[in-house]
Amino acid sequence: MSRVIALCFLLLAAVIGFLHIDSRPVWAPFAINTPAPLEEVLELQPSLKSKSPSVPSPITTWLPDTGAASVHAASLIALKDGAVRAFWFAGSREGAADVSIYTATLDPKSVSWSAPTVVMDRVSAEKALSRYIAKLGNPVPARMADGRLQLFFVTVSIGGWAGSSISSVISDDEGLTWSAPQRLITSPLINLSTLVKSPVVPFTDGRLGLPAYHEWIGRFGEFLRVEGGQVIDKRRMSSGRSSIQPLVFVSSAQEATALFRQTRSADQQKQVPVSQTQNAGQSWQSVGDLPIANPNSAVAGLLLNDGARILVLNNIETGRYRLVIMMSDAKSQWQVIEVLEDDEALSDEQRKEFSYPYLISVDGNDAHLVYTWDRKKIRHRYFSGAWLKRAHDQLAATEVVATPEESK
Amino acid sequence: MNNLMQTLALVEMSITCAVLITMLLQKMSPQSFPLLAKLLLVLILANLFFWPLGLGIELPLSAYVRGVTGDLSIVTMLLLWTSLLLASRPVPLAFKFALVFVAIGFYPFALGLGMTDPYAWGYGSIPFFIAVLFFALLCGLANWSKGVWIIAIAILAWAAHWHESANLWDYLLDPFLAIWALVAIFGALFRRRRDKARSGYLFRPG
Repeated sequence: MSRVIALCFLLLAAVIGFLHIDSRPVWAPFAINTPAPLEEVLELQPSLKSKSPSVPSPITTWLPDTGAASVHAASLIALKDGAVRAFWFAGSREGAADVSIYTATLDPKSVSWSAPTVVMDRVSAEKALSRYIAKLGNPVPARMADGRLQLFFVTVSIGGWAGSSISSVISDDEGLTWSAPQRLITSPLINLSTLVKSPVVPFTDGRLGLPAYHEWIGRFGEFLRVEGGQVIDKRRMSSGRSSIQPLVFVSSAQEATALFRQTRSADQQKQVPVSQTQNAGQSWQSVGDLPIANPNSAVAGLLLNDGARILVLNNIETGRYRLVIMMSDAKSQWQVIEVLEDDEALSDEQRKEFSYPYLISVDGNDAHLVYTWDRKKIRHRYFSGAWLKRAHDQLAATEVVATPEESK
Repeated sequence: MNNLMQTLALVEMSITCAVLITMLLQKMSPQSFPLLAKLLLVLILANLFFWPLGLGIELPLSAYVRGVTGDLSIVTMLLLWTSLLLASRPVPLAFKFALVFVAIGFYPFALGLGMTDPYAWGYGSIPFFIAVLFFALLCGLANWSKGVWIIAIAILAWAAHWHESANLWDYLLDPFLAIWALVAIFGALFRRRRDKARSGYLFRPG
């Protein structure tokens, strides 16, 4: 008799389970970037645009000092009023208990940063998430379909960064105040070892595709489908122990390319691994390497309205002492258009680290870049639409430094 | 809603810690605890784990355990709780074998081996859900009704989004359950060998 009751209960659970599965949203295509209302944005940025009447040179600023000895992992998002909000973590050292996630906004008129404020510190995070948290890291902002800001960040309870999990907070007021954090569950092994680094990719149904990665037992990329504060699906972008920090370039509603930071062993090629999808991220295939040197360091990228793609990375096989901006389009291969930092002439001890670049565009034509400068400061650079357009026009004429290579 | 989910998760973890300590005390005690004593002990210990104790400790004790273990699966929790508080037959060895078999097939692929990720099936794969129902049905056919109840409750918890995860795997399996099943299998095999050896000694001819 008890068995019959148990089986009836199972039948009930089965019906509810099937209804739950049936209520899940179908996988939507990628939302293709539509050009922003350019005139409005330009009007809001007179200082950035009018440094020179012809082609303004890139503008360099520094993110505000928090007084902390160590800073890292800066990211950016465009605000509705044309300003830019930056996020980064700072503390006595990377991974210390006193590390907090900070934010500041760039006023496009005065080209100056606001005073930094704390978005999240370790104690606030652990109280809201009801679990012990040892350290925070890697903030990545996103614009939700309803206009709110969502900030993904990494928390670690035990071990190093390999023990990370992702949480997110939401802001209704463009980042002035934030909700309590919610934890994203992404791994079956105590939810260990999932991190974020690169910008999200929106779907047409308003949900977000979050490129994430594991770096513990395996080192591989994963594409998380996120709805609010929870993962509703995920797909593997690479496998094994050789590629992390996926950066996604969406080329159509169904097609996208992901570039990775390589984490291969010493005897393997130090180049940028590439995966592709032809079904809006439902499945990914590894397609070999982009023949650009990568010393196991993060890659940032951006697709502009005119079809040009830009990358910022350390194009060397070891060290992070040189940072360059590269460009390509459908007709041209990747070319270095500007060397941003280069300490090659210095000795090993004197060389600084230029790492963790992050790129966004406010109007689809320009580019804001932030990166870690010697772990002590975060440098911001602004490339105007005119400057990038000129670089794009010169692309075909300059020397080809890289050609694509088929997978082995 | 998020606050309620976090509080319930801490309640679950507090009860789990209390149950584990009570089981440990029971193992060390020469005499069997009556049910009322077990319930009282669990109640007291669970409260100790749930409420912040102060003394410079920022969080309740269960939050520190949760920080390390994450949320346990519903199957693990219910098996643990019921094994202490309900008089029922032990978990069948075949169920433990099945758990280990599934875990060995699941974890390597879910943690990055190859491009197939069985963990992703847990978000809403109908074939995977049918396989889980079939597994529960087998428990019923094997006359282990508790298994059917536990899996059915896990499915309902997943559909109700009881925990932070939206993945059915997280309601059914966790590494602690797999390790327990593996240890229990070795324990059963060891006992069987020992009993066989003893019976051989007792009934040795001549």
